[in-house]
Amino acid sequence: MTHGRRLSPRLFVTVLAAATAVAAAVHLCIGLGEIDELTRQIVLQMRLPRLLVAVAGGAALGLAGAAMQATFRNPLASPDVVGTAAGAALGGALAIVARAAEVNALAVPVASLLGASFVTWLVFAFAGVGARFSATSLLLAGIAMNTLAGALTTFVVTLTVDNYTASSKVLFWLMGGLDAQNWSKAAITAVGAVVFGVPLLLRARELDVLVLNDDSAFSLGLDAATARRWLLWFACGLTATTVANTGGIAFLGLVVPHLARLLVGPAHRVLLPAAALLGAFVLVLADLACRNLPVTVNVRLGVVTSLLGAPYFLYLLRRHQRGEELQ
Amino acid sequence: MTAPAVRLEADGVTVQHGARTVLAGVDLTLAPGEFVLLAGRNGAGKSTLLRVLLGSQRADGGGVRLGGRPLHDWDARARARQVAFVPQAADCPFEFTGRELVAMGRHPHRGRFEPERAADRAAIDDALAAVDAGGFADRPVTTLSGGELRRVAVARALATEAPLLLLDEPLANLDLEHALQLVRLLRRLGEAGRGVLVAAHDLNLIAPAAHRVALLHEGRIHADGTPERVLDTGNVLTVFGVVAGAPDGYFPRAFRPR
Repeated sequence: MTHGRRLSPRLFVTVLAAATAVAAAVHLCIGLGEIDELTRQIVLQMRLPRLLVAVAGGAALGLAGAAMQATFRNPLASPDVVGTAAGAALGGALAIVARAAEVNALAVPVASLLGASFVTWLVFAFAGVGARFSATSLLLAGIAMNTLAGALTTFVVTLTVDNYTASSKVLFWLMGGLDAQNWSKAAITAVGAVVFGVPLLLRARELDVLVLNDDSAFSLGLDAATARRWLLWFACGLTATTVANTGGIAFLGLVVPHLARLLVGPAHRVLLPAAALLGAFVLVLADLACRNLPVTVNVRLGVVTSLLGAPYFLYLLRRHQRGEELQ
Repeated sequence: MTAPAVRLEADGVTVQHGARTVLAGVDLTLAPGEFVLLAGRNGAGKSTLLRVLLGSQRADGGGVRLGGRPLHDWDARARARQVAFVPQAADCPFEFTGRELVAMGRHPHRGRFEPERAADRAAIDDALAAVDAGGFADRPVTTLSGGELRRVAVARALATEAPLLLLDEPLANLDLEHALQLVRLLRRLGEAGRGVLVAAHDLNLIAPAAHRVALLHEGRIHADGTPERVLDTGNVLTVFGVVAGAPDGYFPRAFRPR
């Protein structure tokens, strides 16, 4: 996509904000019928917190992916590929199995943050050669950490196998979904998105400069190593506070920043808000789809995002085979 | 240029890579108004010396002063407004336009909350004009040729308005025409009052235009002075292991700036 075909940021934001608002309204009101006390309670106590998690979580994952792609200088980096999300899931699963969630609502998010930060740090330490992250080394380190964290998570889940309620709870959470949201979970997701997302938005220009090499960043007055540590930690925070409440939502953090970059270009002052908005829109839409698919089984949100994300990934691969740079 | 003219001085700089001594006491000065070629064999430590002068790599011994003050005492952004850098590889994984890459040169001038001001836009336009990049400034850099990319990188350094410029192998992968254009530009920048230090192999192309040549050999500055004086038969034999007939053989007359 050339510069001439980039959308004007204002147009993009306006159209996408309007589309998100429509999707949100449908999300709240679909199939309600007559307004009475019951439907009021459904909207206020179930659908509204669920919508808030979808909006904040989608925005958080879009931001996290965009930040990771710039800090790793690699358009394939994302919370799923690097293993950040798997680390968050491992931490969260441990906290759920240890029944810490019953003690304090913040236990799962904090455990997720620790898991996400640890795995990201490992990948960062192993995949980089002098702060250069080739697609190959990043993917290999990511596969290793995703597999390891996944295996440990499975092990943690098997610890609860004799307790059917507990294990099904963890498994359903891991599959990714926005059901069983309440206002405390919604608040945690929203506060996480703001606490970790706003500093990221304020550092948009640092993300631009980081895309150059470290010496160039240094020559422009930016200490790349320190900036990268902070920015990755914000991305971990965004991923963890989302995963803690939604479980695994595959591909969103990879695909959304990609798509946003194609539409508005790579400058982060524009890209970050665009990725956040697009992430919110996609997650609201995906949740709407998985609640209203004409099937009798409970389709998990992680399944829907995978159905959207995997073909996009294959499309990228095909473009790459045609000799185009992975963008 | 708004910044006051300052000098960059390396004083007895030593750098060790493990057991290997890369730099063994380098003294070198770069002052505004001069175009200096830093030459030497592969692995002589030219890039390392540039990074030490830039400050992104610490010297193990000796020191670097900018405007008389130790380089590492400078605030990062204030230093960035004095010393600009053009790296050897300028790969960019995303489809930024040339103008967007050049705009990053304004980073040391802008606070975190400051939008792009008229002064920033003027500096970006001037930098693009100086390298004659107006024609492709709005194309994604992934579609640019090696020469165009290099000009964008130089323009980014110019956009900082720093009086001192360090360039690492700026002619690598450039065809003869673009290489000569860039050499002439660097010479003009020197004449216009900037200090330009170029680490490069292309003696034939750069030396005739340079005010000074510094030869880096066995971790030290073997010779430093005007091209005619430094590139004599003895020095060229010692530093490059090549027998040169007359020094004139190194200066194709057609390319001489005057």
